[in-house]
Amino acid sequence: MSFRRKLLAVFALTVFLSVAAVTAIVSSVTRRAFERADEDRVAALVAQFHREFNRRGEDVVHRVQAIASGDEATRMALAVSHGSPDYGAFLSVAKNIAADQQLDFLEFVDSQGTIISSAQWPAKFGYPESFFRPAAPTDAFLRHEDLPDGGALGLSAVREVNVGDKPLYVIGGRRLDKDFLAGLELPAGTRALLYQNLGSGFSPQLLIDPLGTSRPPDPLAPLIQQVQQQRQEASALVHWSSDAVDDETVHAIPLTGQDNQLLGILLVGTSRRPYIGLQRHIGSAALLAGAAGILLAIVFSGWAAGRVTQPVEQLAIAAREVAAGNWSARVPVTSSDELGQLAEAFNRMTGELIGQRERLVQTERVAAWRELARRLAHELKNPLFPLQLTVENLVRARQQSPEQFEEVFRESSSTLLAEIANLKTIISRFSEFSRMPQPQFQRVDLNELVRNVARLFQAQLHSPDHVPIECKVLLDEGLAVIAADPELLHRALSNLVLNAMDAMPQGGTLTLRTRQNEEGERAVVEIADTGAGLTSEECERLFTPYYTSKAHGTGLGLAIVQSVVSDHRGKISVRSQPGAGTTFVIELPRNPDKLPAADSSGSIPTAKS
Amino acid sequence: MRRSGLALLVANSLLWLATAQAATRPRYGGTLRVAMGAVPSSLDPADAAQSGSLAGRNLSSLIFDTLVALDERGRPQPALAISWQAEPGNQRWQFKLRRGVTFQDGTPLTADYVAASLRVANPSWKISPAGDAVVTERDSPAPNLPAELALGRNGIAKRGGTQLLGTGPFAIHQQVAGKELTLAAYNDYWGGRPFADSIEIAMGQGFRDQMLSFDLGKADLIEVAPEQAHRAATEGRRVESSPPRELMALVFAREKASPDEGRLRQALGLSIDRGALSNVLLQGGGEPAGGVLPNWMTGYAFLFPTNADVPGARQARGEVRQASPWTLSYDASDPVARVVAERIALNAHDAGLQLQLTNSSTADLRLLRLPIASLDAGVALTALEADLGLPQSKLSGRSPEELYAAESMLLQSQRIISLLHLRTSYGMNATVRNWSEAPDGAWRLGDVWLGAEKP
Repeated sequence: MSFRRKLLAVFALTVFLSVAAVTAIVSSVTRRAFERADEDRVAALVAQFHREFNRRGEDVVHRVQAIASGDEATRMALAVSHGSPDYGAFLSVAKNIAADQQLDFLEFVDSQGTIISSAQWPAKFGYPESFFRPAAPTDAFLRHEDLPDGGALGLSAVREVNVGDKPLYVIGGRRLDKDFLAGLELPAGTRALLYQNLGSGFSPQLLIDPLGTSRPPDPLAPLIQQVQQQRQEASALVHWSSDAVDDETVHAIPLTGQDNQLLGILLVGTSRRPYIGLQRHIGSAALLAGAAGILLAIVFSGWAAGRVTQPVEQLAIAAREVAAGNWSARVPVTSSDELGQLAEAFNRMTGELIGQRERLVQTERVAAWRELARRLAHELKNPLFPLQLTVENLVRARQQSPEQFEEVFRESSSTLLAEIANLKTIISRFSEFSRMPQPQFQRVDLNELVRNVARLFQAQLHSPDHVPIECKVLLDEGLAVIAADPELLHRALSNLVLNAMDAMPQGGTLTLRTRQNEEGERAVVEIADTGAGLTSEECERLFTPYYTSKAHGTGLGLAIVQSVVSDHRGKISVRSQPGAGTTFVIELPRNPDKLPAADSSGSIPTAKS
Repeated sequence: MRRSGLALLVANSLLWLATAQAATRPRYGGTLRVAMGAVPSSLDPADAAQSGSLAGRNLSSLIFDTLVALDERGRPQPALAISWQAEPGNQRWQFKLRRGVTFQDGTPLTADYVAASLRVANPSWKISPAGDAVVTERDSPAPNLPAELALGRNGIAKRGGTQLLGTGPFAIHQQVAGKELTLAAYNDYWGGRPFADSIEIAMGQGFRDQMLSFDLGKADLIEVAPEQAHRAATEGRRVESSPPRELMALVFAREKASPDEGRLRQALGLSIDRGALSNVLLQGGGEPAGGVLPNWMTGYAFLFPTNADVPGARQARGEVRQASPWTLSYDASDPVARVVAERIALNAHDAGLQLQLTNSSTADLRLLRLPIASLDAGVALTALEADLGLPQSKLSGRSPEELYAAESMLLQSQRIISLLHLRTSYGMNATVRNWSEAPDGAWRLGDVWLGAEKP
């Protein structure tokens, strides 16, 4: 992963973690605030419910008291005290009085709990009142009212009519229904429902919803059943649909009756819509902030990376240039920090390298000149010494033996001419090395070139003047054509063959091989001998001009080979060990750009033999 | 001095006597204002939905005459037919028509009109005019044909044209559908012009509204709910009650499916406290009924038990392993019907049975009020069976034994549980004179005249 990407990842992670942390904190704070507000709302609503309950209860007590004090009640009480009353006479009494007093429930019950007259269930005269308790509280209380079609919850009061021997009880009340709940002032987003616990389990029909929403109340069942079992307040999060916006926090408050039995459950629902909406806003804001942050991170990381990586990249580029040989590569110093110091150090290093290289080159040049001078001196000394002797012989002969001077002059002349030719040869070789021509690139078939070189030296390899040398030619027929100068390559290969022949005075095997390198991009030519081999030191100095291990020779042959290979942008190397022969390896690129634009003949020229 | 005082006394007595006689002498004129609860959809006597109800019979008797009328003992008496004769086998009958009878438009009553009218009410009969007589032929013996012809649905009507016409004492003058009906006296009525010039009938009024109208002086004659009759009378209103002419009963929608269901139906019948229904809920406006027909009609109704037997009901219920709840429907427009139904549900609960009250038309049980169609017990029984969609008893005669057997068979089918025989009560103010009902309970408003003084 690049430095820029690492930097981007670090910045992005930082932004993400920051935004996530802030979001989590804000969400937590928001949730707690909503929960507190919700608790306050519920408490307020429950208090209001109890106030309304008490207020209506007082009204019911007042009305029931008025009925108990009325003439009808007195008349009925008298009839009851005289024995079994005439139910027919009182059949409609309760109903009529209840209508007058605006009560939903009204019953007259004797001391045994037998109904004398009932407003809500007229047909039940003579039957026992299901939930009658003689000892009733003086205040209004919650009560289960039996009805022909089931039951209902009522806010009821009981009063005793003591006329005669036996008391008569007046039980009157109002129904807890939608109107009761609708009378509550509810905060926005809050609603109140009443579940009438008139049976076991959960029955949707027993739920009073003043708003009359169409959705089925089944999601409330678990909460209601929990309160039925535990008889304690409980809360639950109710999911009305798959969308969290429709969720509702429902608090259930048990409502008990006279004997502390659970008669009803007040359900206070608080919509979570505002909270979910706010949470979604927070989430959206967090996403936006995160996206903006990441965008900024990208921009900043790009800028920071640029500030950091650019100098490093420049440094890397310069280092690659130096490795490629361009020691003059420089890194601009754009700051005074560590990167600037690094650039300065690099520039100093390359400067020193250049200086050292120049010194090395100078030293090598001096060494090469010294070697050249030594070689020249050695080469020139050989022919010069006979020249000197010959001239001294001529002088002596003229002085001492004039009669032999003619013969001595003839012999000395031929010796002088031979040595002068030798000098000319030496000089022409040096001159030739100094005037190595630039290669003329053509399509060259290396295999054919090598065959030509082998044919050229075939006679010399089997000359009777020395031990025969076997020649092996191993060619890769799939070798591609390359762009090269056939003349120069032929000369280079010839020099190597000559050196190989010189390294095998006792005979041996000369191997000429062609192949492609491992990557298939270059052509490789190997010339191997089975001579005495070279030491590692000799290998290092091998390509130094004028270095030779031969007693005779100018030492320019390998230098010429190296120059030719270098001009072809190739590489030459040597593998050798003492006693194991020597192998020269030339790698040549295909140089397709060196080919002439039009080569209509399509022929593959080869070097002249 | 003593002679002048005596003369003065005699003169005053004569004057008082004359005034008293004037007050009791029938007078022509005036409009009788009547309120009723029913809203007949049709005044056609052949309309089966109306002819069977008391209200339908009341209205029909004002406008239409039948060939035969029944006396208090249920014996056929001449009406539009002055005589009749049956051929052996009682399948073919001939009724000789009264002369001089006209429809309310003046058209003379002929055998053709009679035959045409009877065919509408009885499509399966073969009826043909024969001079001044009408001949009917039945597929099976009809010994009670005269009593059948006394039923309200066999009132003779002239159909066609824009108005329905009869031969009765009053003709249709004006009608506001569902609200008001005005009848005008027919001057040429063969039985004598009625005393009142017209009758204004306000329809569709509940018992409470009728009582209010009565108390406000807006109605002269009203219906009184059976449970209100006693109270109305004790409060000083003039209330006339008839013998029981209606049966209140529980009717099952279908035949019992199994012996177990029969036991459950038996349990239900035993659980019902008819005394409480009669004495408390109906305030004595009815009599507990064990049989279908009232005792005053058959004389043997007391043989059918009416007392509740809750232990017996529990025992019958206990013989059945599982009992599904029954649904019980009632007439929602009848305030006492709901209370009666609730009471029955409570009684059934005591026996371990469950009844759920409903307004559905497909309930298992229905609480019905069935008018006794005829004073003829046999005709009344078969008419009731026909109203309930039950197979009609084949009665060859009118012997009490045969009737008892037929009624017992009906009760043993356990399709019907009799509850009460209800009286019909009417409230009327003091101006209404000479009030009477026909033996079958129909109004005899043709004989009613309106007194001059107000109470």
